[in-house]
Amino acid sequence: MTILDACQWLQSLPWASGIKESSWQFPVIESTHSLAISVMLWPAAILDLRLLGLIMRRRSVSSVAAQFLPWVWVGFIVMVLSGATLFAAEAVKCYRSPFFRVKLVLIAFAGLNALIFHKTVFHGSTSWDQQPNLPWRARLTGGCSLAAWIGVVAMGRALAYA
Amino acid sequence: MLSQSFLPFFEWCGKTWLGTAVRDNVLAFPVIETFHLLALAVLLGSVLIVNLRVFGLGAGRMSLSDDLEPWMRISLAVLIVSGIPMAMSEPMKCYESYSFPIKMILLVVAVLWHFAVRRRWSGSKLAATVSILLWAGIGIAGKGIPYV
Repeated sequence: MTILDACQWLQSLPWASGIKESSWQFPVIESTHSLAISVMLWPAAILDLRLLGLIMRRRSVSSVAAQFLPWVWVGFIVMVLSGATLFAAEAVKCYRSPFFRVKLVLIAFAGLNALIFHKTVFHGSTSWDQQPNLPWRARLTGGCSLAAWIGVVAMGRALAYA
Repeated sequence: MLSQSFLPFFEWCGKTWLGTAVRDNVLAFPVIETFHLLALAVLLGSVLIVNLRVFGLGAGRMSLSDDLEPWMRISLAVLIVSGIPMAMSEPMKCYESYSFPIKMILLVVAVLWHFAVRRRWSGSKLAATVSILLWAGIGIAGKGIPYV
């Protein structure tokens, strides 16, 4: 079975095809997916902007991270669940779209970037936690994360209209 | 739905240079909508962060209004500036929908609320709930324009 066959099978499941046939299910799930951007991406972007020294400069990086990472996780769960449901309803369209593939790559990149940040750059207590201007490695992680998530939103919009 | 007296205005919007330019370029709408959505994320996210504190949710002891206020104003400006060309590119869709007039009324109320009323009531659960419902309602009504 190829990936395309799997997508066709997924899309033909009664609940998945029901989403497309219903007049309200797709827009409601899509609205949830779009509004969850504010719960996940903005708190994530606040941490990225703090690393870049552009917001909350008087607060320590660890306090900003402690305050906003729970939002990111809650928002991420809503994003993945609503996104997976939208994917199931339009699996073949997504599979064929180059924008969807780039979107998945960018999400993987953002995840890897966050993992590297927590395992190496920001492992345990750092000497620069309280400083307004941070070392280049911290700024690079913040910039990469910000760029990746902006790209994810752009690819999502491109996917919807292509 | 909007009264027919608005029809000439919406028809005119579709014929303007801006409306035609956005319609004629395949990339324009998704690119502008990306900025619109990112700005919505900043504004609605900030509204949630500032107001959910009143309910003891997810903010700790820090007061963040001062840190977030400039970002909220910039994102509101980006939302309006990016929203106008999108509406002008498909004015008849807006004219025929219920969502568009609801969204515009909510927007006016939310802006007045944000700049005139909210501060005098800051800290109250009712004021926080009104702020969240207004901005979330604007987002939901916006998503609804192509459908209802």
